[in-house]
Amino acid sequence: MIKKSPWVSLVNCSGCNGCAISCLPLITPKYDAERFGIKLKPSARHADILLVTGPTNEKTKHALKRIYDQTPKEKKVVAVGNCAISRCVFKNGYNTKQNVDEVVPVDMYIPGCPPITEAILHGIVKLIGDLDKGKKSKA
Amino acid sequence: MHDFSLPIGPVNPSIKEPACIQLNLDGNMIKNAKLNLGYAHKGVEHLLEGKKIEQALYIAQRICGICSFCHSNGFNQSIEKILDYDAPKRVKYIRTLVTELERIQSHMLWMGFMFHEFGFETMFQYLLRDREHVLQLFERVTGGRVHHAINKPKTVRYDLKKQDITFILEKMDLLEKQFKKYFGIIKKDGVTKERLVDVGLISKKRAKRFCLVGPTARASGINNDIRDKHPYDAYPYLDFEVIMRKKGDAYTRLIVRLLEVLESIKIIRQLMKGLPEQKIPEAKLIFIEKGMSTSQVEAPRGENFYFTTIKNNKVDRAKIRTPTFAVINILPTLLENRPVGDVPVILHSLDPCFSCMERVIIVKDKKREVIDEHTFLHKYCDHHH
Repeated sequence: MIKKSPWVSLVNCSGCNGCAISCLPLITPKYDAERFGIKLKPSARHADILLVTGPTNEKTKHALKRIYDQTPKEKKVVAVGNCAISRCVFKNGYNTKQNVDEVVPVDMYIPGCPPITEAILHGIVKLIGDLDKGKKSKA
Repeated sequence: MHDFSLPIGPVNPSIKEPACIQLNLDGNMIKNAKLNLGYAHKGVEHLLEGKKIEQALYIAQRICGICSFCHSNGFNQSIEKILDYDAPKRVKYIRTLVTELERIQSHMLWMGFMFHEFGFETMFQYLLRDREHVLQLFERVTGGRVHHAINKPKTVRYDLKKQDITFILEKMDLLEKQFKKYFGIIKKDGVTKERLVDVGLISKKRAKRFCLVGPTARASGINNDIRDKHPYDAYPYLDFEVIMRKKGDAYTRLIVRLLEVLESIKIIRQLMKGLPEQKIPEAKLIFIEKGMSTSQVEAPRGENFYFTTIKNNKVDRAKIRTPTFAVINILPTLLENRPVGDVPVILHSLDPCFSCMERVIIVKDKKREVIDEHTFLHKYCDHHH
């Protein structure tokens, strides 16, 4: 896993867009995640970290699985927002039956409906920090 | 020439939402296109059934993250119509303020992405930078950046303070200055014109045939602005003009939306000037034995239609027609005989929002069909690949 400059890709599984537009300011001048070496990449094939938003429905769960398989082998998955964690208001829907962590393994959860951009940035930076610590303890 | 079939999606870099467009290509030209939807379908209308009014309002806001307030306002309006209740003027003014702020926010996001689609990254960053000013206003006025849970039946949650008003007016001055600058850039820039002029042309006749709504229709010369035709909230007291253009290509749609932002700034100034000193009523639980009503609001993307029936204080049926549902149907015809490179521009110029749009319509002729959950899933929700 790349520890210094991870590339991040956004996967929207039938969310309401709220979490997606909460993730987007990460690349804008106010929050600018590139200070930490984080770059938002369009293609999941280049990504080290997947930001997954929204509840999975019967159609997107297959897409999410495929995208997870397409990303390079060492990867981290971040579930952004209440919907990705526990489906929030869509819990009893006929089409939204699985949380994200029931489809692919998840490494970090960022709660909120939607989480503020600072929280998402904090989460990703913490994920990188933890990777660094793991490296030090091994050495 | 070889024939190719090219799927774009369901997760693709061009649109941030899951949707699949299948293109049949003849070389670089598109022969025909097909939309494969259902990736963002969550069954919101079904979720609303059987919920109490306060719970339903919470769900209605979460239909879409970009026009969240308009959905809550539409649902709220239909409830208030059943109660035959006219909200105090101050409540109406606050609601209109949030509606207009949301329009500015949505149009800025849309414009930013429009420039992003053809690689004008500087404008993209400028617009998203300035969008933060609007989000700051949201945080101050409503408490939320994306979902502004400010609406309640009969009232709003928070009142405006005096210092808020000066803060809003300061930000409006700043935005107006920036937008005049952007208008100059768009008018002069050659690449923008090259990519957008005469792309995705929709004539007035075609726009009428496809029942287009919102800024997309207004760019083709049809005035169907609900704020003007069926004024609600504080719009009857305001003086504003409906932005209209005739040509109907992607460039006109950009201009219409840009001018609409300037118009919204004008409206917000009027609102702040004429804000009546009143006490806003406290939020109380609502009880409705039986009732049925419709409501229309003008969301950033066009007309938002709500049909609500209520039985024993619970939502019996809620039918929601979102503006994007009307607009997306024209996409396959617009893509025909265009090069593949135009797909992101044409798709984005319609301002699609798939989370709003994904509704299930089952039309049966005369014979009534009863579907249980399993067959419904098998028939309409399954992954067919």
